[in-house]
Amino acid sequence: MNKLVKMFRKNQIKTLDMVLTHDGENWIASNKTIKQVASSLGELDLKIENALRDEFADGKRLNVFMAFDNEAIPMWIRPYMNHYFNRILVLPIQR
Amino acid sequence: MSKIQRFWYSGMLSTEDWWAVWLGLAFFSLGLLTLLGIDLVGWIAYPSKWVFSMPEGAISKKIVTIDKAFYPLGGKYSLTARDMYQSLGPIGSILVTYIIFTIATMTGAYFQKWDVKRYFIGWTFIFFVTYLVWFIGHHAFFAASAVDLKKSHFPAMFTLSLGGGASFILALMVGLIIGNFFKPLARYLSEAAKPEWFIKTAIVFLGVKVGYLPIKAAATSEKIGHALADLTLDLFIAGAAATIVAYLIFWPGVYTISRLIFKLPRKTAAVLASAISICGVSAAVATGGAVRARPVVSIMVSSLVVVYAVIELVILPGIFTHIWPGIKDPMVAGAAMGMAVKTDGADAAAGELLDEFMRTKMEETSNGTVIWPEGIITVSAVMTKIWIDMFIGLWAFLLAMIWVYKIERQEGEKVPFSEVWFRFPKFVLGYFIAWFVYLGIFFGPGHGGSAEGMSVLKAAEAGAVPVEKGMRKLFFMLTFMSLGIITDFKKLAEAQFSKMVWVYFIALFFFIIPVASIIAYLFHHGMTLPNMAAPGSALFGG
Repeated sequence: MNKLVKMFRKNQIKTLDMVLTHDGENWIASNKTIKQVASSLGELDLKIENALRDEFADGKRLNVFMAFDNEAIPMWIRPYMNHYFNRILVLPIQR
Repeated sequence: MSKIQRFWYSGMLSTEDWWAVWLGLAFFSLGLLTLLGIDLVGWIAYPSKWVFSMPEGAISKKIVTIDKAFYPLGGKYSLTARDMYQSLGPIGSILVTYIIFTIATMTGAYFQKWDVKRYFIGWTFIFFVTYLVWFIGHHAFFAASAVDLKKSHFPAMFTLSLGGGASFILALMVGLIIGNFFKPLARYLSEAAKPEWFIKTAIVFLGVKVGYLPIKAAATSEKIGHALADLTLDLFIAGAAATIVAYLIFWPGVYTISRLIFKLPRKTAAVLASAISICGVSAAVATGGAVRARPVVSIMVSSLVVVYAVIELVILPGIFTHIWPGIKDPMVAGAAMGMAVKTDGADAAAGELLDEFMRTKMEETSNGTVIWPEGIITVSAVMTKIWIDMFIGLWAFLLAMIWVYKIERQEGEKVPFSEVWFRFPKFVLGYFIAWFVYLGIFFGPGHGGSAEGMSVLKAAEAGAVPVEKGMRKLFFMLTFMSLGIITDFKKLAEAQFSKMVWVYFIALFFFIIPVASIIAYLFHHGMTLPNMAAPGSALFGG
């Protein structure tokens, strides 16, 4: 039983929340502890992976939930659709 | 402070979409209280067709004198507070309407963290200019038909016979003048000029209308009540066709035009295809996010959508009424409108205009022997649009999967299914709740319009009419005015849009509108409208 609990805990995937936005040139992902900036989402993902390497050591996995900051969309557009997109990055990235 | 959608309940107090539901359902609920004998909605000020003074021999039936140009609907329909509402008079009812909606909308503005002071000033300006335009637009010269003149024993005189449509056109014109010639004022008013919020609230009120239509018709005859209940359900089912057309015919067609003829980049073509084919700005934003485009792509496309939507709103109701399909096929016209006009605001507004034009023309053509129920043509335009709206979340989710897992494969990225809910148009929930509750009253305690259910239906009517007629039309008027204020035609002339302007033009006028008309004909041709002027008679169709 203890083994099962340990295995369950090991396989439990931790989720880290970040806010994603775009400043006109770059994608920016940030939370209280880290902030990464890149011109493409692929590049941003790599930077986040590097910054969070300690969080998914020992074969663990980490989900980074990026919720888009809809304030990047002009206010007059938001009434039509108040959601741009959210994405989940699964770390480590499987290549 | 960031605005994110993280949990299923995110945005319930901070987005216009949800506030349309809260506002709509709040007044819908107040309306239901008439079933308990409590009338809290009869204060809404509603216009009549008017003249400065009555000609000799004329009577106040369809046309009244200027001092009666507005009246509180409760003064006519209330069962329990008629005298109280009558005592408000025209000015009193307008002021009460202003106070109540100012409190209601400012509560929404506060929770949405708008500049409340600026909203209050802007709202006050827009509200009173809207009522002024509503008043002018109901002068007999603009609004009265030959039948109105005849029923009020007026001598023959020239009128534009535009019905309530005159007020809508005037509101749009005044708004456009402000938006294009008084830009600093328009910018200031933009805090309160919220066509999407107003129209989504109006669409929740329209839900009351759809449910109330059989109740109203039952007062004429039980048979017509049932016919209207069936017709609204038929419209609901036929409207599903629009979904298939928008997503599986329009989208691939416009995407192909954008890529093959205009050589637009893949992401821009996808965003543009969604905007032109599906539901305008909301689809442009949803698709931009789905294909991971920079937000500026959706913003540019959205600017085009609002301008083109207003152009469609101006020209299509007239074309559908007077050229094709005309009064022979009003449901075809409504459904085609729902498929062709992008943005909920412009579509519902165009549907309402079409409703006014078609009913007035039918009444005039038949010399008053055929009167169609008010609002059913608007319903046909909105029903198809709602079907299209409901699937944008699912469509964007599919596009995101194709983009992320296939076209621009992002290793490690997953598309959360919650995206479907975040993009779901919430006001639709209010529309269906309002519709089905009133339909439930009709078939339940109302006994389907039979004599034993009449007392319940009368009580329901007293609460439904101020909402579905007065509040709905007021919010349509506010929509027309606000659409004009935020529409800047100069945006079409901006050079960087040139290719997109042409894609939009060609796709809309040579592909979307013709195909929408054909599909609407295939699925809605032959749908009949009841004749409210002939109790117990056969249905009158096209």
